[in-house]
Amino acid sequence: MFMPRTATEGEWPQGLENTSFFTPSYLKGSSYMTKLEEAHRVKQTQKENQQQPRGVLPPASSDVVLDGKPPASHLGMTYDLIERSPTSEHTSTIPPLPTRWNKDDKFGALEVSANGLEVKCNPALRTTREQDHEISGIRADHPMPPQAGIYYFEVTLLTKRRDETTTVCVGFAAKNASLARPPGWEQESWGYHGDDGDIYSGGNVGRKYKDTTFSAGDIIGCGVNFRTGQAFFTKNGANLGAAFRDIKGKLYPVVGIKKAGEIIRVNFGQTPFVFKIDQVIEKEQAMIKQTISKARIENLAPPPMSETEFIQQLVLQFLQHDGYVETAREFANELHEEQQALNVNPSVPVMGINIKDDDDAHQRQRIRRAILEGDIDRALALTNNHYTRVLKNNQDVYFKLKCRKFIEMVRKAAEYGSGNSKKANGHSYDDMLHEMDVDENGLSDTMEDDSMEAQTEPGALLKETIAYGQALQAEFKNDTRREVVEALHDIFALLAYPNPLHVKEIAPLLDRKGRVTVAEELNSAILSSLGKSSRSALENLYGQTNVLLDYLQEDGNAGSFISIQSEVIDGIPRSQPF
Amino acid sequence: MTSSTSTATPAKHAFTRQVEEVKTPKSDINALILDYLTVAGYPNAAAKFSSEANLQPQQPMSAIQQRLRIQKFIHKGEIDNALQELNEVYPSILDNDEPLLFALLRLQLVELIRNCNNSPDRDISAALKFAQTKLGPKATMKQEFLEDLEKTMSLLVFPQDENLDPSLSDLLKPSLRRDVADQVNQAILEQQKQHKETAIRRLVKMRVWSEDVTRKETKKDLPEPIELGLDGDDADRLDATQNGHEPMITT
Repeated sequence: MFMPRTATEGEWPQGLENTSFFTPSYLKGSSYMTKLEEAHRVKQTQKENQQQPRGVLPPASSDVVLDGKPPASHLGMTYDLIERSPTSEHTSTIPPLPTRWNKDDKFGALEVSANGLEVKCNPALRTTREQDHEISGIRADHPMPPQAGIYYFEVTLLTKRRDETTTVCVGFAAKNASLARPPGWEQESWGYHGDDGDIYSGGNVGRKYKDTTFSAGDIIGCGVNFRTGQAFFTKNGANLGAAFRDIKGKLYPVVGIKKAGEIIRVNFGQTPFVFKIDQVIEKEQAMIKQTISKARIENLAPPPMSETEFIQQLVLQFLQHDGYVETAREFANELHEEQQALNVNPSVPVMGINIKDDDDAHQRQRIRRAILEGDIDRALALTNNHYTRVLKNNQDVYFKLKCRKFIEMVRKAAEYGSGNSKKANGHSYDDMLHEMDVDENGLSDTMEDDSMEAQTEPGALLKETIAYGQALQAEFKNDTRREVVEALHDIFALLAYPNPLHVKEIAPLLDRKGRVTVAEELNSAILSSLGKSSRSALENLYGQTNVLLDYLQEDGNAGSFISIQSEVIDGIPRSQPF
Repeated sequence: MTSSTSTATPAKHAFTRQVEEVKTPKSDINALILDYLTVAGYPNAAAKFSSEANLQPQQPMSAIQQRLRIQKFIHKGEIDNALQELNEVYPSILDNDEPLLFALLRLQLVELIRNCNNSPDRDISAALKFAQTKLGPKATMKQEFLEDLEKTMSLLVFPQDENLDPSLSDLLKPSLRRDVADQVNQAILEQQKQHKETAIRRLVKMRVWSEDVTRKETKKDLPEPIELGLDGDDADRLDATQNGHEPMITT
């Protein structure tokens, strides 16, 4: 049966292999986490593709389909129909989060259990040579990613005996720092020690911290703010304040335990934290937003343009560039009226803004309109008439248009069918699949159980859809690129549902939003063919901001805490395509 | 027609290449545009855009038009009309917002002064009376009010020529009208629980800020300057003259 793939997010299945992907609460929605999620999704898809070679059209001999069983089950379909493609190409280099203790990166008598989350000191494992050593330490599997801006984890002392002092130390260290001594005693190593409550960095002389030791039952948190370079600790949900400064580089979470029987459990963000770390992030964000709000737009505008005029220019240039002819004209009119109203010197007339008639802009707008209305054939014809070579030279765009046509056909059929009873509708789809197979086998004797009444419009529509789908497959059968094969696979799978509009997982593929994407890709291709920049100034500005924020994320700088999505796009009231 | 992003010169800056790789979701860009046209108050363009780009209007056309009507009064310097309309349509908006009311009245004084300057006899009595009855009593409420009023009053005393101090001559520029109109627009939007800063403005600010911080705090190599491709064609400018021979759609 079809199983949704995003099953165990945020949960921690006890006793299962530690492979679950999780999002620590304080990183939710951050650009680092978004990239990590994208990378994860890509990896998952690749993994599944390796496991399950994917067919293209439902195979002709497929009994599963013909038997009328849930048809999707054998297809191994994936429904990551990502509306928003990754905005950046650098996702492959995004470092992972620490997820567990690394049992191959420890010293001495430590025993790792509970999917790598618990560590116990077991002296039986200790060799004689190790007897003299101060402590046994262990590092996490990955360093704390500076791109997160702030990284935070918590360690719970699970030890039962509350009366004794603990030997547990919590901190972080570079890869080369020895684990044979407590975190903080080595170079490039920092730690908070439970026995004396002192903090250590690069030496065995402690510094007074908050005069508080910790012991069994306590929950000790450790956080690093990579923007400020400060590290802090928390105890049972209370912030103990700044502990270290100038923290940077590849640093791993570390715990050290000395005494036999002591056990700790770490939370790398798989479960909610005791300390309200989310609020720390929010405070950080608020501060950055405050700074941004003071930025002077005039710095970007060519003088003597004011901020208002600059933004008006950005908008006007975009409208013209992207071929929104009518809007550009209205906007120019309204701007002109505004200029006239503002004019304080009646003897100086206000110049109108000259929006020239531009045939290209009109053609491009007509093509766009056709696609937005779902009329792909008209768009193809117009494009071929006015821009002969564009489709030839942009095979990808051509392919997407052809696919979109198929989607529109399915859409139409589904919309038509949704008025009918569910059963009848499902029936007709089944018939359609029968028919498809039959046709592929070169037999035309079909629909033995269908009366003429059933031959209503949806039936004809579906027949047409199948025929088109077959032609589409034939046209691209020699294209073995994965994205092509996958795209065909995804759209043909739409036929497997009685009413695809009602299937949550696949409905997005049918969404009208998809029209916008195709329309804009075609528009860009036409612009390029005309030797014009495929991008408006506004898009350049968006792209530049995106890259600059990436730069500001690399060392955990301010770019880690904010994104275009969170600061700009999410603030716009939702406006859906019709 | 040339721009750093469209010509494939071999010496393309690494930053520029990276920017080209960024996919700008058109749905985001379109949303930005509709948001701007709606919030900043361009009802006809907003309506056309939602039809051309297939987007649902963000606000009803009438709401945008209503705000525009008031903005337009202020742009024209017809403050009495603006106040009257405001009181009719958004009765409570000025009650709790002394700074907004003061800004409007102060602009009205500027307009009165402008009028008397333009009249042959330069009769300042109307402006004086307005200042004394309407602004004087409020000016003592806040230090800024007092300063603003004093500055405005000195417009009456100094001859308005090229020797006028810039801080004073600025008051007579259209930008003061625009600022006050924007203030009023934002107050209306806030009262309607709409967001009041356009998203595109926030994006532009982020762009300015992120460049500043990158230049100051990182060793990243950036082109100097980072071209937007906005000024590739002078005909695109607002101040463009009618005789531009180049096509409007450029870069």
